[in-house]
Amino acid sequence: MTARLREALRVAADQVPGYPVYERALATARRSRRRRATAAVAALVLVVLAGVALPLAGTPAVDPATGARAALPDRIGLPPLGTRHASDRPALGPASVIFTGQAPRLQGWNEDGIVGVVSADADRYRIFSIGYEAPAGDQVLLSPDGRYVARPAGDSERPRVDVIDLATGGTRRLPSRVADSVLTTPVGWSPGGARLVVRDTVPVAFDGATYRSVLSIVTLDGERWSRLASGAQEASFGSVVAFSADRLAYQYGRTVAVTDLDGRELSSFALPVESWLAGKGAWTPDGRLTLATRRPGSTEWSLRQVDARTGSASGRLSLPAVSGVTAIRLLGWRPDSSALVVAYQPEPASPARFDQPLELDQRVAYGHVRSVRLLALTPGAAEPRTVTTAPEQVLAIDVADEVVQSGRVRDAEPPGGVGLRFWLWTGLVGVLVIGLAGYWSRGWRAERRERRRRFRPEPRRGG
Amino acid sequence: MTETFHEFVVHRTPALSRTAYLLTGDHQLAEDLVQAALARTYRHWRRIRGGDPEAYVRRVMYHQQISWWRRRRVAERLEAEPTDRTGADHTETTALRLTLTAALRQLTPRQRAVIVLRYYEDLTEAQVAEVLGCSVGTVKRHGHDAVRRLRLIAPDLVDGTPERSPR
Repeated sequence: MTARLREALRVAADQVPGYPVYERALATARRSRRRRATAAVAALVLVVLAGVALPLAGTPAVDPATGARAALPDRIGLPPLGTRHASDRPALGPASVIFTGQAPRLQGWNEDGIVGVVSADADRYRIFSIGYEAPAGDQVLLSPDGRYVARPAGDSERPRVDVIDLATGGTRRLPSRVADSVLTTPVGWSPGGARLVVRDTVPVAFDGATYRSVLSIVTLDGERWSRLASGAQEASFGSVVAFSADRLAYQYGRTVAVTDLDGRELSSFALPVESWLAGKGAWTPDGRLTLATRRPGSTEWSLRQVDARTGSASGRLSLPAVSGVTAIRLLGWRPDSSALVVAYQPEPASPARFDQPLELDQRVAYGHVRSVRLLALTPGAAEPRTVTTAPEQVLAIDVADEVVQSGRVRDAEPPGGVGLRFWLWTGLVGVLVIGLAGYWSRGWRAERRERRRRFRPEPRRGG
Repeated sequence: MTETFHEFVVHRTPALSRTAYLLTGDHQLAEDLVQAALARTYRHWRRIRGGDPEAYVRRVMYHQQISWWRRRRVAERLEAEPTDRTGADHTETTALRLTLTAALRQLTPRQRAVIVLRYYEDLTEAQVAEVLGCSVGTVKRHGHDAVRRLRLIAPDLVDGTPERSPR
């Protein structure tokens, strides 16, 4: 059977000497350990370099003259995949426009509510995530100088407003001081950017089914928190807020209230049918208020001015009307006396009738809007002039007051392709893959080198 | 720890060397195999010294040999004359050893491993399967193929029908 084979194996084995491999085995083991440690350190260093050092490298200071060149882009685009975040270095600097919507790149992986930010003077885009649907110009507000963005943050236990500084990438937190508040939302900036009007939502029933709204004015350092008004949530306190240098107008229900900056009410008046406080730019330079009015039975909207104390018609505006929209919102006034408005283009699939009475918040709800445009309503002009266009499903937009007031518009070329973060992540993954491949093949390479070294032509050991 | 590992190497290197030579059929390859297996054992010495370090080394050697062959890092070097470290005394014993060495070179590393484990280490097929990390059926197949091949190329080494081994 195999007895002969067994014998042959033993005979062959018996003549094999013990190989003197102890020292070389130790050296191989130690070399292997060193290589493993070196590979781990190198991988760690590369990760650190790629993930942290690269975004920090070459961080230029924000150009203080950026504001002087701020201009409104004539079109905006969707942020490319991999667009840098607002907190990334180098900081973006002041912005001209922020926008939100339901385009895939504005919703993220999980309907995160991405806010697009466009630099004040160039087509540099940044983004940041709210975590849920929060329309620009309504809950996410760009400061008058374009440097800050105020957004709701925190949770129902500790609601707050976060103010993102686009010049530094940092964030300032303003925790709500309203007792039992479950949500605090910014609704208006003061002209100098030193104050914010915020609206808190406070449950009044034990089961939390009924709420009231509390409108407050707060300094940006969070030191002074003054209550303006409060009432039933249904009144939508601060649904529209407009600041002037020394006064504040806000709408609740069908009423407009005017207060001083400490919250003392100066006047109030009832709104006419199918009229709303026109928007954050409702104050005119001469101290009147502007209303946006829909002509009954149509989708034609126009602006008209009223006395801030009485609400009575005051002077005639010869601005062109805007037709075929769900609503308009006044952003401000330009040097040529034209009004810059956001026009909400209706969603064709929407079941709502926009030529019929409908609350303003419903008229600008995402589901009822297909896209937005910025229109200039110039005195004496027959038609509105389109200033800025946006892709479909960009559904809300806010513009820095200083950009509006400068009247400057620039030819825009929104970025295409993919953003820096895409390349950073691609590079990081590539480095990790290469590092892992190198780590896994280390033994193979070391032993191949060893074999090459050992099998160089040289006299073999004799027996 | 090093001293203990040193003692282990001093005591067990001769036996490991013999197995390595049977696995590779070449003294230098065998030396490399023992060295690589001991280096790996040293790296894990703290963990395995309380168990059966020799079994660990042998398992590493078997797998390393098969792995080298798979990666083709070690070219099968067919030599006109096998390496002879003991001098050319053409006795019957030497002839048997040379015949075996030449015959083993005609086997795949896995077949060679099965032959060494089965007929030199005297392991059962189940134990061989455990060491090689494969099924008993695979061991049977490799063993059967190896013996059949040896019978063809070196009939003097294998005669009669293959024996049936205990599980």
